[in-house]
Amino acid sequence: MADAMCAGLPGKTPPRTWGRALLLTLPIAMWSLLMSSHGMVQADRPLKMASALTAAFLIALFFLMMKTANTYRWRRWYFVALGILFPIEFIHNVMVLRGSMGIPIEEMIAGRTPFCFLPIPLLILPAALTKTLVFPGSILPGGGMAGGGMAMMVGLWLAITLIVGKGWCSYACFFGGIEEGMAALPKKAKWSKLDPRLRLVPWAVLLAMVLLSLALFEPAYCMWLCPFKAVSEYVAARNTVGLVQNGIFVVLFAALVIVLPLLTKKRTQCTFLCPFGAFQSIFNKTSAFDIKIDRTRCSPCVLCQKSCPTMSLTDDSIKKGETLMSCMKCGACVDACPKGAAVWHIRGTEVAVKPEKARLMFLYAAWATAVMLGGTIITQGLATLLQRVM
Amino acid sequence: MTKRHIFIVFSPGRVSQTCWGKDDTSENMAAPFIIGEAFLLGVASGPACVASCGPVVFPPLLSEGTGWRLNARFLSLFLGTRFLGYLLFAAIAWEFGVLVSPPPAERGLIYGGIHVLLGVFLFWYAYSVGRGCAPKCAGTALVSIGPAGKRGVPGAAVLGFLTGVSLCPPFVAAGLRAAELGSLVAALLFFGVFFVGTTLWFVPFVGVGCVKRSESVVFVARTAIVLIALYYLLAGIAMLAGRSIYG
Repeated sequence: MADAMCAGLPGKTPPRTWGRALLLTLPIAMWSLLMSSHGMVQADRPLKMASALTAAFLIALFFLMMKTANTYRWRRWYFVALGILFPIEFIHNVMVLRGSMGIPIEEMIAGRTPFCFLPIPLLILPAALTKTLVFPGSILPGGGMAGGGMAMMVGLWLAITLIVGKGWCSYACFFGGIEEGMAALPKKAKWSKLDPRLRLVPWAVLLAMVLLSLALFEPAYCMWLCPFKAVSEYVAARNTVGLVQNGIFVVLFAALVIVLPLLTKKRTQCTFLCPFGAFQSIFNKTSAFDIKIDRTRCSPCVLCQKSCPTMSLTDDSIKKGETLMSCMKCGACVDACPKGAAVWHIRGTEVAVKPEKARLMFLYAAWATAVMLGGTIITQGLATLLQRVM
Repeated sequence: MTKRHIFIVFSPGRVSQTCWGKDDTSENMAAPFIIGEAFLLGVASGPACVASCGPVVFPPLLSEGTGWRLNARFLSLFLGTRFLGYLLFAAIAWEFGVLVSPPPAERGLIYGGIHVLLGVFLFWYAYSVGRGCAPKCAGTALVSIGPAGKRGVPGAAVLGFLTGVSLCPPFVAAGLRAAELGSLVAALLFFGVFFVGTTLWFVPFVGVGCVKRSESVVFVARTAIVLIALYYLLAGIAMLAGRSIYG
């Protein structure tokens, strides 16, 4: 029905024919099959099934994006699946390997801590000033649970970030899916009046954590504030301070990832805490893609503002015809705009001239990332679940 | 009573004591050489000083008003009182033969206490910024802690002094070297030159004055101060309770 409505509106891209949508999906289908081919040829039956299911799931979602010209609705399915299956796979792995989600201090000293992308901004200053990496993981692949190592993760992050900017937070982050899922559950937000200054808190967290990491020679955010420690791993609590640390993780997770998204329909952890998100916003200035508001079509109904999961649209920014630099390029505002005024855009080109082409170019880059990073995690998570039931 | 100047250095597993008399050979070393050594030690230790003081100096600096002169005033006051804290600690250590780096139990009490004080004063500072910021954020006077008006103490001075007595690793390194000089005056001079060397690394911070202080910038700085204060409080309480802050 929404598609039929869109079809008649000026500025809105009408739904495509099946053939055209299939044709546009072909490159992503090939990429998905390539990425999952490793799993499909394995003797492990659950892994084989999980690889095939993941490839089919990701191809189907991209096809629906092409067919309906909607982005947010279909991307959300992928993102929520990623958010749920990542902890399942990760916790299963640490339980099998270690028997506990708590990482002992000895493992940290030995450099066997798995590296995620969140501490990347915390590493820069200590490395620049003292040539020291303040994360207790290994630089190269190997080293117990360290997986791909820091060098690979940082390299991947940089390559993807330069292209999609803060789109990383909507297509590659394996933490944001849980809160996006929670935010999708209620029909209406119970709390809609949120202090706009709260949007600045991630910058404060970034500043404080960068400085503390430099002073203490430890990734301060991972040690004290990361809510996702509650669903991945944490410093094994051996005394009261360890318990306080873990208490902070659990309270932040419950509040920002479960309760507040349900009440506000926003990605509250991303909007009000995540220092990596704030850091990533800087790269929105270097990315070729952004979202613009075509002022000639906009009748300020503020539906885009209401639909934005990260409060990245304000009255002022709409007047200026742009989003704030915290925009994650999830596409919610573009899909919500009844006039087709919110549009995808490539820097240096005229606004709203060929927005669907800009969307396609962005989506190919972003979805290729989603398949490569998220697809692998979803496959592993599914395989873990299938191993349990088969 | 013969006065003995003792510097006790704690190292895991043993405590070593060293006594120096007036005929110590290092006393006869050429003054320019020692001054040069102090300066180079300061310059080499500068990044570690910036790293150590960063959480206490940078967000408060960012929450002050716009303008490089105001920021230079903040930094001068911060560094000056930090130096006073250094000298006071060094003089006490020298005069009473007490410890640069005491045994763990006492160390926990001293550093824990200083951490708690830093946490409390950072909170107070963040509160005071809000008070000063009420009409508009770009103030022309330094943020002061305490009663409103002229009776308050500049926050930069309090924070500088507390970081001065916190004993960062570069300070301990300079303290050990100064202790070998055999006279209090020579040791304080060594400290002074060492301090000038480290201060060079703080000079670029004056450039923060060019950042235009909007309400958003001050809000970010204040919130960062609160977070850092929380960390110092928690770490301080843990140290006072004799707990490791590493779970």
